[in-house]
Amino acid sequence: MSLLKFARNNTKHVFNMHNDTQAIFISSRKLSLVPSFYDQENPAPKFFSSGVQTLLKRLTRPDFAKVFRKRANTNYPVLKTPIYKFLTDEELNVERENANKSADRLLQMPPAVKVNEPTNDVLSKDPALVGYDNSTYMFTDITFGIDNAHRIIVQRSPDGTLQSCDYETRKRLNQIYFPMQGRKLREPKVFSETEKFNSLLDREQYEYILDRACVQYEPDERKYQELTSITYQHLDMHSKFNLLRSTRHFGPMAFYLTWHKSIDRLMLELIQNGTVREAVLLVALRQAIHADLTNEDTCNTLVSQILPRPIQQTKPDVLSEEDIALDTKCTECVDTYINTNSTMKSQQALALQGFREYYQQMVDISRGLKKAHGNV
Amino acid sequence: MTTKILALRNVVRNPITALLKQPNIQNNGQNNLIQFSTSPLVYVNFFNKLPAEKLWKSVTSVSNAGAKKGRGKGAGRIRIRDLNRGQIIGVGKINMLWPGLSAPVIRGRELLKQQRLPDDPERMEKLIKLRDSMTRFRRLKLSPIERGWSGARMPGRSLGPPDPVADEEFVGFDTKVLQLRPLLIMKGTLGRTRNFQAMVVTGNGQGLAGFGIGKAKEAQAALRKAKNRAGKKLMHFDIYKNHTVYHDFFTAFGKTKIYVQKKNEGYGLMVHRAIKEICQAIGIKDLRAKVEGPSNLQHIVKAFFIGLLQQRTHQQLAEEKKLHLVEYRAENEYYPTVVASPSTVRTKEEIPKDETLDFKQYVMNDKVILQKKKFPRFYETMPHYELFLKKYEKYRNHEKIRLDLKVEYGEVKSFLNDKYPEEKNEQEA
Repeated sequence: MSLLKFARNNTKHVFNMHNDTQAIFISSRKLSLVPSFYDQENPAPKFFSSGVQTLLKRLTRPDFAKVFRKRANTNYPVLKTPIYKFLTDEELNVERENANKSADRLLQMPPAVKVNEPTNDVLSKDPALVGYDNSTYMFTDITFGIDNAHRIIVQRSPDGTLQSCDYETRKRLNQIYFPMQGRKLREPKVFSETEKFNSLLDREQYEYILDRACVQYEPDERKYQELTSITYQHLDMHSKFNLLRSTRHFGPMAFYLTWHKSIDRLMLELIQNGTVREAVLLVALRQAIHADLTNEDTCNTLVSQILPRPIQQTKPDVLSEEDIALDTKCTECVDTYINTNSTMKSQQALALQGFREYYQQMVDISRGLKKAHGNV
Repeated sequence: MTTKILALRNVVRNPITALLKQPNIQNNGQNNLIQFSTSPLVYVNFFNKLPAEKLWKSVTSVSNAGAKKGRGKGAGRIRIRDLNRGQIIGVGKINMLWPGLSAPVIRGRELLKQQRLPDDPERMEKLIKLRDSMTRFRRLKLSPIERGWSGARMPGRSLGPPDPVADEEFVGFDTKVLQLRPLLIMKGTLGRTRNFQAMVVTGNGQGLAGFGIGKAKEAQAALRKAKNRAGKKLMHFDIYKNHTVYHDFFTAFGKTKIYVQKKNEGYGLMVHRAIKEICQAIGIKDLRAKVEGPSNLQHIVKAFFIGLLQQRTHQQLAEEKKLHLVEYRAENEYYPTVVASPSTVRTKEEIPKDETLDFKQYVMNDKVILQKKKFPRFYETMPHYELFLKKYEKYRNHEKIRLDLKVEYGEVKSFLNDKYPEEKNEQEA
């Protein structure tokens, strides 16, 4: 963690020294990514709290065209013939609600939980069994209906101790008796060999890495957190947030960045793309996790105003007066954040200034249009 | 020609004098002719009295009655050989060098002289071989792309775009032959006469296509007529997402019935070959069609075109039903996509109880396709198949395991290989 901080400070230094993209690129290439784990405080209570979950889901900005896109891993040799139905309005609404539910299922976020700790509980020591055999005996409870996490798996060592086995063995036995589709008993080479993993990162196959890691590992595994943290950092460094939007990995990534207080590049991207409302949500997320902001109340009221409104996939053509009022408040809120908490102050301030000018133009146009139509 | 050859003869006799006295060659020739002895050698037979054409005809011709019976065809047929083919003026049995005829007069700085060269023993063999090759029937060699449905026959072959009509060119069009057949008609004066009938389809692959029928005495003329007629009878078809039809449909012409099924991208054209050519002309890429009843080609083509014309677009269907038309695709997790919405939508109460709401049933006009029962394959009921299944059961995962082993160790090996390394060494030795 300390190394990472050092690295981050280093980049900041570069940012302040020259405002040049090339300089940033070189500096980021020199960095070797250091994995960070959720090993101090348990992030689960905050991650699973309803407020944070809503913020994360909203930040994902789900576009159904991408959520329900054609995937390469569908096992159809030939695509099936589409089905057509005649529907009334009510039936269509029901279908849409069902689609929303399945979108929720597809966008269910892999949780951020504390990394597991090695257990070492000796159940019994039977000196009478010493030397009975020179092999370790494993006992697995394969009763139907018990989930893998709570299944009793114990081992009897040759020295007669009966103890619960370590995490790796547990996972292996669970996989043997109750195989999970897609999970391999041996670690795939993409994850065990750094070269292969790095080549995936360089090809920006972030979603593939994260999906594959989800299948292979449990979220509280050290390896999982290592892989995901490196992926998130790599993605953050290259500002490729759009690759994860509308996928289930955006939420955990936003949470990771916020948890490690490195949301500034994401914030910059949001401001540059003119989505100040999401920038406010990101500020609120930081507030929910760290509670280190000055304008907490305004932030919360803004969030309560933003959430009921529809997600903005594209920049709106015409602005209503309500939108203008809300966006102006959001801009102010983001401005406060930049001035007080940001580590990329100059760049973000510049981007915000650009947004303000663009927004003023938009406001002028939409007001002028209204005037021309006589709707003032 | 004669004078030239005679002049040459002169050159052969008196090369030096002839070359020195160029302008007098004509005179010399005449003089030479006069010097010829004219003893009457008479070799008169049909062989040098008649021209080659007549000679060949006498060999190859079959009487009218014989031709009608089919004589002069097939394996024993004699064909006309062009004996001049492969022969060059100035080159003959005796291999001579003729400056100015078979060789240049001056080569470099040297003035060439006529001389006898060593005989070429292979010359005659080559000629005979060439003549023999003319006797055999040679099939028209076509590249696999140009080839039609079968062999070198016309159906399935491309004819190119129709001829321009009043400076209007058919850009991007291609014509395919669907049928070319002789029609025999009895005439009062001529007896049985032979006409050719051609059916072709032309299209630009972007929704514009038409078919035409042409008749003529010659096959080529019939094809040309059909092609140009097809170009004048173009129809436009909407293609759904640029790859298939809008919905399944049933169509018929005469007793020929076609069941057409819409298919998803990548399915291809699983249809009768004539329908395939039509689809390609229109630009349909994925379709299945089943022809039932007589496979009269003209009926199939007409039925398919009628069916395509009777198609309704999604918007039309939605308007007819006054309901939303929603599409579900398996590859998109059955996400409901509204493909067409009517101007006014009916509520559930407004829909009569006995109305057809099932999309497939509606577009097929309540016609239900008989799904035939699938019988087990002939071997599946036999005792040996059960035996095979039992035997194979233990090997069923070996392929996957082999792959896994290759991924892990780079070869197929087990823990026993490490336990007993001597076995492997023995094998290698």
